[in-house]
Amino acid sequence: MEYDIHSQPSYSLVEISLDPGEQLVTESGAMAWMTQNMRAETSARGGIMSGLSRSVLGGESFFQNTYEARGGRGTIGLAPGQPGDIVAYDMQGGELMLERGAYLASTPDIKTNSDFQGLRGLFNEGMFILRASGTGTLFFNAYGDITEIDVDGSYVVDNGHAVAWEPTLDYRLTRAARIRSFLFSDQIIMEFSGRGKLWVQSRNPRSLANWVHPFRNDKPSQGNN
Amino acid sequence: MYVEVANVGAFGSALVHLSPGEGFVSEAGSMYRASSNVDIDVTMRSRSSGGIMSGVRRMIAGEHFFFSQYKVTDNQPAEVGLAPNLQGQVAHIECDGRTRWVCAGGSYLGSSMLLNVDTQFQGLRGMLSGESLSFITVEGVGPLLVNAFGTITEVDVRGALTIDTGHVVAFEESLEYSVGKAGGSWISSFLTNEGLVLHFRGHGRVYVQSHNPSEFGRSLGPLLPDK
Repeated sequence: MEYDIHSQPSYSLVEISLDPGEQLVTESGAMAWMTQNMRAETSARGGIMSGLSRSVLGGESFFQNTYEARGGRGTIGLAPGQPGDIVAYDMQGGELMLERGAYLASTPDIKTNSDFQGLRGLFNEGMFILRASGTGTLFFNAYGDITEIDVDGSYVVDNGHAVAWEPTLDYRLTRAARIRSFLFSDQIIMEFSGRGKLWVQSRNPRSLANWVHPFRNDKPSQGNN
Repeated sequence: MYVEVANVGAFGSALVHLSPGEGFVSEAGSMYRASSNVDIDVTMRSRSSGGIMSGVRRMIAGEHFFFSQYKVTDNQPAEVGLAPNLQGQVAHIECDGRTRWVCAGGSYLGSSMLLNVDTQFQGLRGMLSGESLSFITVEGVGPLLVNAFGTITEVDVRGALTIDTGHVVAFEESLEYSVGKAGGSWISSFLTNEGLVLHFRGHGRVYVQSHNPSEFGRSLGPLLPDK
């Protein structure tokens, strides 16, 4: 497998070439184009329970597509649903934690499961995050620019800006402000501790949605258009 | 204190490096990453810029009522990453104390704690036009960060220049400025949906943004369910 990530970081798109017989698993809907000798198989990978766990709990698609190059080299272009950065991460039997929606694609020996985050997940993006494990290459994406941070000790990230982290890091949720914060909607932050790599995104789709909110029409309109 | 600005394509951001004892202020909530030796507090004002009334004026001006304030808690170097909501560039202006800088509301991202930050409300005219016409003034010596929707261009004004308020990011107060209308009359301005403009006169720098955030909001808003 060879890959090339184009137009980073604003409009990243990854082009992946597979040797005959090689496979790639992708989030459904990520395929932008492919050569004609790519065969797609759609399945709830790992069975229904695994699919449910991935979609309902992990925020990813129930079905995943597996692409295989047949009778020659095949190429596939993957574009995430949001403009932003893509990161390729090589795994050697280790694990990586992914925030909801960050998973884009992986080579077939990488498994993904949802991971229960406990009650802290209630205040976070979700109760579950995705745990990827195995050997191969994993592609993840986010809205905005992605920066890799080497954490040694501790580091804080605004909730909604963490994309992925190595399992050697643990996190807890805390509130940014102290007493006066009751006057202001809290900024909830994730405090990571340990030693490992952490990836953060410079934009947050939720903030964009909040920004657009005041521009919506006020009065209920008469009829539909 | 030094500031690294990353203008990577559509998503600009800034990483502020602080030494022990230093502090930084930003629009509330724009911190997205920080080292853990930074104390993050929400404050109604930055240094010496008035109490509650100043905060109320900021609220009227459409700018967040609160600022976030970052202080280094120990004797280690610290960092704070700041990013705006919208896609666009971030610019670093090094204020030299000779003239105040005026930021259009919404363009202010952050500034050194040593800079005085205050709000200037542009009167009833601004409210009637529906355009956001609030200014944040910044005074003193130190780094100021502004953000734009789209790209930022620096214009050196010598003489006179008229700029739509939606495209103004920040300008030096050494320039004389007045708020006006783009069309011939208030009615024609209203009918053509041309907003307010700023007439600049004199000598100074103006930062302009390629896109008008309100126009973008107005094109998206009606496509969403009503409030």
